[in-house]
Amino acid sequence: MSAPTLGPSRPRWLDVVGIVGVVALGFTVWLGLWITPPDVVQGNLARLLYIHPPIATVALYWVGAVAAGGSLLYLWPRTRSLFWDRLAASAVEVGAVFSALTLVTGSLWGRPAWGTWWTWDARLTSTALLLLLEIGYLALRRVPADPAVRARRCAVAALLIAVDIPLVHFSVDWWNTLHQGGTFIDPGFKIHASASMSWTFLLGFVAFSLIFVWLLGVRYQVEVLQDAVGDQELEVSLAERWDEDAERIVGDLVGQAPTPGGGAP
Amino acid sequence: MSYVDAGYAVALVTLLVYAVGLVLRRRRWERALRMTETPATESHGAPALGERS
Amino acid sequence: MWHDAVLVAGKDLRIEARSRVALWQVVPFAFLVLVLLAFAIGPDQAALRRAAPGIFWVALLFSTVLAIQRSVAVESGEGTRDGLRLSGIDPAGIFLGKAAAVGLQLLVLQLVLWAGVTFLFDVQVHVVWLAVTASLLATVGLACAGVLYGALSAGLRVRDTLLPLLVLPVLAPVLLAGSKVWEAALDGGVSSGTQWLKILVPFAVIYLVVGIVLYGPLQEAA
Repeated sequence: MSAPTLGPSRPRWLDVVGIVGVVALGFTVWLGLWITPPDVVQGNLARLLYIHPPIATVALYWVGAVAAGGSLLYLWPRTRSLFWDRLAASAVEVGAVFSALTLVTGSLWGRPAWGTWWTWDARLTSTALLLLLEIGYLALRRVPADPAVRARRCAVAALLIAVDIPLVHFSVDWWNTLHQGGTFIDPGFKIHASASMSWTFLLGFVAFSLIFVWLLGVRYQVEVLQDAVGDQELEVSLAERWDEDAERIVGDLVGQAPTPGGGAP
Repeated sequence: MSYVDAGYAVALVTLLVYAVGLVLRRRRWERALRMTETPATESHGAPALGERS
Repeated sequence: MWHDAVLVAGKDLRIEARSRVALWQVVPFAFLVLVLLAFAIGPDQAALRRAAPGIFWVALLFSTVLAIQRSVAVESGEGTRDGLRLSGIDPAGIFLGKAAAVGLQLLVLQLVLWAGVTFLFDVQVHVVWLAVTASLLATVGLACAGVLYGALSAGLRVRDTLLPLLVLPVLAPVLLAGSKVWEAALDGGVSSGTQWLKILVPFAVIYLVVGIVLYGPLQEAA
């Protein structure tokens, strides 16, 4: 199975997505930090809401959809292809970055808003667990294995994570509600949005989604390249082994002492 | 630096660093692939790129 | 002995630098323990704050077990341990080297855990030197006891279930004393804190000495 000479093709549209995403992000930052007015209730703190919810949406929903969907499509015999496996794995790595950012931006918002860096509310807690699970998945992925075996293993792991996170979210939500005696008031994210704020909010979602797609695409390319090099290296070292064996056999036939083998472990 | 500034800074810097890291990784693996494909590498063995635990 | 210790410590640390298992598996595990214990104790912020010292040390102890398992596992390849034994390296040196490597990893872990506990449980260490001294002393004890018991269970097939069972009770005094010191460090009660520090000192010394003396014979017996 030989890979194309320079790895996966570099589709033009991916770079376009990246550029548009960066531009959109730039506008979001500009609008968010300077142009939009401070919120009536939260003041300047509300500006973090132009980036925190979009990042969280990417981390939970976009990543979840690609990772779980890709894993399902890989496991389903009709659609089985390493493409889905590699896409899912790429989504998990990008997702880990976004999950971590969700937690950081969330805490930075929470510290002045709630007076504490961390609360054990359902959203933050399930994102924290998601990050830990993603790290676990990535560790599992690094275990050397045949691509098909690895793909199956990781696909199952991803699906289990996808099932687990909503369960965790629900349990923690209930855990909190019972403690608060049934009237759980979500203290977050209540702003009175003016027109410019709403547009900036929307732009933020678009920007981070596009950036997610670009990062996913590049990470996917890296994944394909890694596997391709792995295949090539295996072929090269196999070829070297056969050469060594051939030498030895010939040496035996001719009655000479076999030459010491090369460094292959 | 306010919390808001810190939040924006962390998000932008992290994504930038990760993006640059990805592009560098892609370049490194493209180079590795090109090297394993040229027959000359058999004589001195491909350098051990991409160690994986 | 010291020269050999440095060699062995260097080897273990280099393996860790390459594979980064402690970083990407043990540290997340430690955070997982923090989260699970928070679930166990409940959403009451005051209860969590009071439990924070104990939570720090429990998470550390469980992670230490993992770190020890990893330290033993790097030599579990066929013949690696025999090779080490026959190489003429002083077994006490091997012990010190492995304990040093584990100890260093535990120190880094504690830094991260400290930040994590502060962040997740909304506590602040006020008497920093108390907490730092406790960590340093405890690390010596944890690393030495851990490596020793790791060697005890090394060749056995039931190693994974046996090691925690053997080593955690032994480490219990560290948990006890450490939690009390941290309570003092959080509240500011220096005198009670120093009293509990006094337990950590003999623990560290005893296991350091016992390890140096018994590691060699243990290896022969394995």
